[in-house]
Amino acid sequence: MPTLLDTQRAMFRAVALREQDEATKQIRGDALSAAERLDVYRNTFVSSLTAALRISYPAVRRLVGEQFFDGAAQCFIDGYPPQSAYLNSYGAGFPDFLRKFPPAASLPYLADVGRLEWAVNVALHAEDLNSLDADTLASIAKVPLDRLILMPHPSIGLPRLDHPAEAIWRAVLAEDDSALSTIDLSTGPEWLLVERTANGVEVSPLTEVEWRFAASLCAGETLANSIAANAGDNVFFLLAQHLAAGRFIGFRLTEDRLSAPLENFS
Amino acid sequence: MARPSIPPWPAAQQAERGSIPAHAGIGLRFPHHRIVTETRPDIAWFEVHTENYMGGGMPLRYLDAIRHDYPISLHGVGLSLGSAEAIEGPHLSRVRDVVTRVEPGLISEHLSWSVVGGAYLADLLPLPMTEEALDVVCRHVDQVQDVLGRRLLVENPSSYLQFKHSTIPEWEFVSAVAGRTGCGILCDVNNIYVSACNHGWDASAYLAALPKDAIGEIHLAGHTVKEIGGCTLRIDDHGSRVGPEVWALYREALARFGPVPTLIEWDTNIPAFEVLLDEASQAERTMTYMQGEHADAHAA
Repeated sequence: MPTLLDTQRAMFRAVALREQDEATKQIRGDALSAAERLDVYRNTFVSSLTAALRISYPAVRRLVGEQFFDGAAQCFIDGYPPQSAYLNSYGAGFPDFLRKFPPAASLPYLADVGRLEWAVNVALHAEDLNSLDADTLASIAKVPLDRLILMPHPSIGLPRLDHPAEAIWRAVLAEDDSALSTIDLSTGPEWLLVERTANGVEVSPLTEVEWRFAASLCAGETLANSIAANAGDNVFFLLAQHLAAGRFIGFRLTEDRLSAPLENFS
Repeated sequence: MARPSIPPWPAAQQAERGSIPAHAGIGLRFPHHRIVTETRPDIAWFEVHTENYMGGGMPLRYLDAIRHDYPISLHGVGLSLGSAEAIEGPHLSRVRDVVTRVEPGLISEHLSWSVVGGAYLADLLPLPMTEEALDVVCRHVDQVQDVLGRRLLVENPSSYLQFKHSTIPEWEFVSAVAGRTGCGILCDVNNIYVSACNHGWDASAYLAALPKDAIGEIHLAGHTVKEIGGCTLRIDDHGSRVGPEVWALYREALARFGPVPTLIEWDTNIPAFEVLLDEASQAERTMTYMQGEHADAHAA
């Protein structure tokens, strides 16, 4: 008799990989065959994950059309089943998959639009955490800059994109064909800041210098290193802007073993 | 536009305590967040999917506002109580965080599995009905009840296949989980009907085999009938009104269990909120009618 684990591994192969042989041996077939019964579960698996990807990638979907999107989604789902029951976190790898997906090769900007949409999705669902308050900011002032590491809010994303993805994304979601037709695809790269504010998710273009400073801070570099590596004249003004906008939730010193939440950065 | 004046409604008092009354409730989905917060409809309670309120942002703000006015039941779809491997720790922690925030009146999960080898299959998959599976489910129910510090309700599944090596009838399996762990049973009447049709079981006998005192909630939903090569398979898609056969089975359930909090579930092709209110009133009328029948039976 198969163990529970045997059965679940066989079901995984049938549902996620379309390899039904082992599972069919364990399933009762009658008027309906074991394979037909397994297909019901296979269909639910693909359709519920496709639905999750549709929600996270609305602009990609409009750019390629429903049929193409569903086909690409199915290939992605076959290669990368979710690792968690928290489906808001499913699909981070879809833009990279699209970049290497031969049928999408004629749309070189598609993966960049996808990366922007993923950053928006992360910002939408990021945990609610309080920004640094005035008292903590006052205590930071006493910390030497070469030991100070700021911890970014988990909603912050800093996509650096080769193509003018922001303009494409806005035009596609607004269904503004005339705006879409005027976009110069040769412009780029672009440096973006994505964050959730009280008004919802906002996407703002940064200059390269601004982006490098923010990316360095958010990657867990010390404040001194971030300043030294990105020596713009207005670096303290930028820092003040970030703090005032509530983009950091805490700080640590270089010797602390606490880790900052960095996984949202690309 | 002026906001209509809002009369006091029974849910307001219940919300204080947070307990789920033996009345009809509605499964709340994102498209109805606004209408519920803006119009505060006359409904006794809501149920939400736990997984939809993990993380932060707008969904949680809506849920906080709705919880302020109504008792909430949390219905999970991702714990995978039947996994041969361990329950995913981070997921259980996320469930605990939502429970702490919402203070739900009821917490439920499914008698099924979704996770193997670290992959999540995004569906409620059937278990072989074996002694080994029963041990696994009971161990996981114990663990979840320990971590949450609360009684869990476990829902009977709908299924489209049976394993050759199953040895325990599903109704005995469900009852044994409740008996061994002290958990309650979420009796999904539509699931009983769907599985009974798909596998040739007797739906009334299934109901009659469940321990009356363990029933903490009832689910009602619509399903579709699919023809595959001349055979009929009923698919539990929660995408239509509750069917007449399921209403009939619901009356049988009430006759056996007495009044139980009853939820209208609708997850695909989500209709206007009024349609859900209409289904909930039918459940409410049925409960009232059956209480009358019950009283008559005793008086006779």
